[in-house]
Amino acid sequence: MKPSTGEKVFQAFNYAFMLAASATMVFPLLQLLAVSFSSPEAADSKKVFLLPVEFTMGTWEHVLRNEALWTSFGVTVFIAVVGTFLSVLFSLLTAYPLSRQEFLLRKPIMLGIVITMIFNAPMIPYFLTVRELGLMNSIWVLIVPGLIGTFNMIVIRTFLMGIPSELDDASRIDGCNDFGTLFRIHLPLSKPVIATVSLFYAVGYWNTFTQAVLFIRDQTKWPLQMRLRTYLQSPEELASVNMFLGDYDFNTTTLKAATILFATIPIVLVYPFLQKYFVKGSLLGSLKG
Amino acid sequence: MIFPGILYYAVFKYVPLMGSVIAIQDFKILKGIWNSPWVGLDNFQFIFSYRDFYVVLRNTAIIAFYKLVFGFPAPILLALLFNEIRLMLVKRFVQSLFYLPHFLSWVVVGGIVFEVLSSQGIVNVIRGWFGYEPVLFMQTEKYFRTIVVLSGIWKGVGWGTIIYLAAIAGVNPNLYEAAVVDGANRFKQTLHITLPTMLPTVVVLFLLDIGNFLELGFDQIYNLLTPMTYSVGDIIETYVYRAGVLQGQYSVTTAIGLFQSVIGFALLWAFNRLARKTEQGLW
Repeated sequence: MKPSTGEKVFQAFNYAFMLAASATMVFPLLQLLAVSFSSPEAADSKKVFLLPVEFTMGTWEHVLRNEALWTSFGVTVFIAVVGTFLSVLFSLLTAYPLSRQEFLLRKPIMLGIVITMIFNAPMIPYFLTVRELGLMNSIWVLIVPGLIGTFNMIVIRTFLMGIPSELDDASRIDGCNDFGTLFRIHLPLSKPVIATVSLFYAVGYWNTFTQAVLFIRDQTKWPLQMRLRTYLQSPEELASVNMFLGDYDFNTTTLKAATILFATIPIVLVYPFLQKYFVKGSLLGSLKG
Repeated sequence: MIFPGILYYAVFKYVPLMGSVIAIQDFKILKGIWNSPWVGLDNFQFIFSYRDFYVVLRNTAIIAFYKLVFGFPAPILLALLFNEIRLMLVKRFVQSLFYLPHFLSWVVVGGIVFEVLSSQGIVNVIRGWFGYEPVLFMQTEKYFRTIVVLSGIWKGVGWGTIIYLAAIAGVNPNLYEAAVVDGANRFKQTLHITLPTMLPTVVVLFLLDIGNFLELGFDQIYNLLTPMTYSVGDIIETYVYRAGVLQGQYSVTTAIGLFQSVIGFALLWAFNRLARKTEQGLW
């Protein structure tokens, strides 16, 4: 059947709209990139779009010399690496028994866990609980209270449910205990889902913010997003020099642009390569029996 | 093996849920939960007689309503438009771009929104081409809610389509062929085949959404709010944070949080009943 005129018009409109709309998804980041390499005068004169005007490295030199920013970078890298490892480990340990038919408490425990997805822990009792545990101002507060993401745990569980129980039987006959079965049989088989979930966790840890707002007062333990937020609120602190005394090749506009990118670039760099894993994983999260 | 997992859920999910009892106490941090005096519904009486509470509740409800009306259908519509793109290469490229903002934190997105809408930002530059004066969007009360809804859509719409696209992919192609034989054009096919197959997914996601109706997400609002926009943008979560975490009014703010959850659950229950009459509900 030949497409009617109406359909052709719609198709043309749809392509135009989608391309334009998707451009808005990256345009702000590209513009910030251009601003961060532009001279302060150009940045404040509405002339910078996608290419730097009056190219200068001054802004980045200043930002990359900022020690507080690197301290926070270190905190974020630490929680992203250690946190992701621990989260994946404990999600796996929880998901495996819940994926096995012969585990009799499977259903009630699963129900108990799903309930926590609907009834979120209220902010204040949660705050008080974590504080009572002595986690206030500890870097572990950025990891432990969010150790198991229920969605991610369910993603792993859904995948493990697809692994036939005959394999468990065989490994047990060969003398493996439960841990051996999990780490020698199931883990190698579930590499793709582990990769996906690790990425979800790593992005989550990279973007950690609310936990820090609630629990960390000590600035040396601030994660990157928290530091960025403070700098966006008071860019003078980011500049750390008196802008009125002296002639600098950066200003608060270019500094803010560079700092936003500093906190984003790792994600944007890995994103194109990992995107397909994210999409697959997000669909495994749907709940099965 | 499952023990650490159970311990985790007990300590970080169930203890705080039980801890909500401090809403009916005059909780003092030094006395702890066991020795603080019980005060019944005093805290609830207090919040309902407190003017600021109504301002905050009103802000929360209005933004929640806008988010539901504009934010919820956005990914459904976008998924249908994705589905009409026939060139696979274009489709994949466009999708990749749309998913990107989901992975940025609200601090970063907040920073971007402030830059884009600043007096030198791109929006005001474009206004300038048409001879309009620049507007300070982020500092003007009447734009705040629009900005919240639009930035929420910008960040989440692409990622939100994934689950709907999966539902669309599950449609039996024979249905489309039969519809073509019967003379249905693309629009009719979408209306009578694609949409009905998506409906169960839509219902489930709607119910999950409505259960958290008043929970707008602390991160987003906190990173978009300025003192100039408190009057329209201060929501339950930001208020609870300020009055509870920063000022230590634990019992009153817990009562507010409890109120919020109860509303969410009541809505979920009501809409679930409604959904069961036509489709399948959550339970």
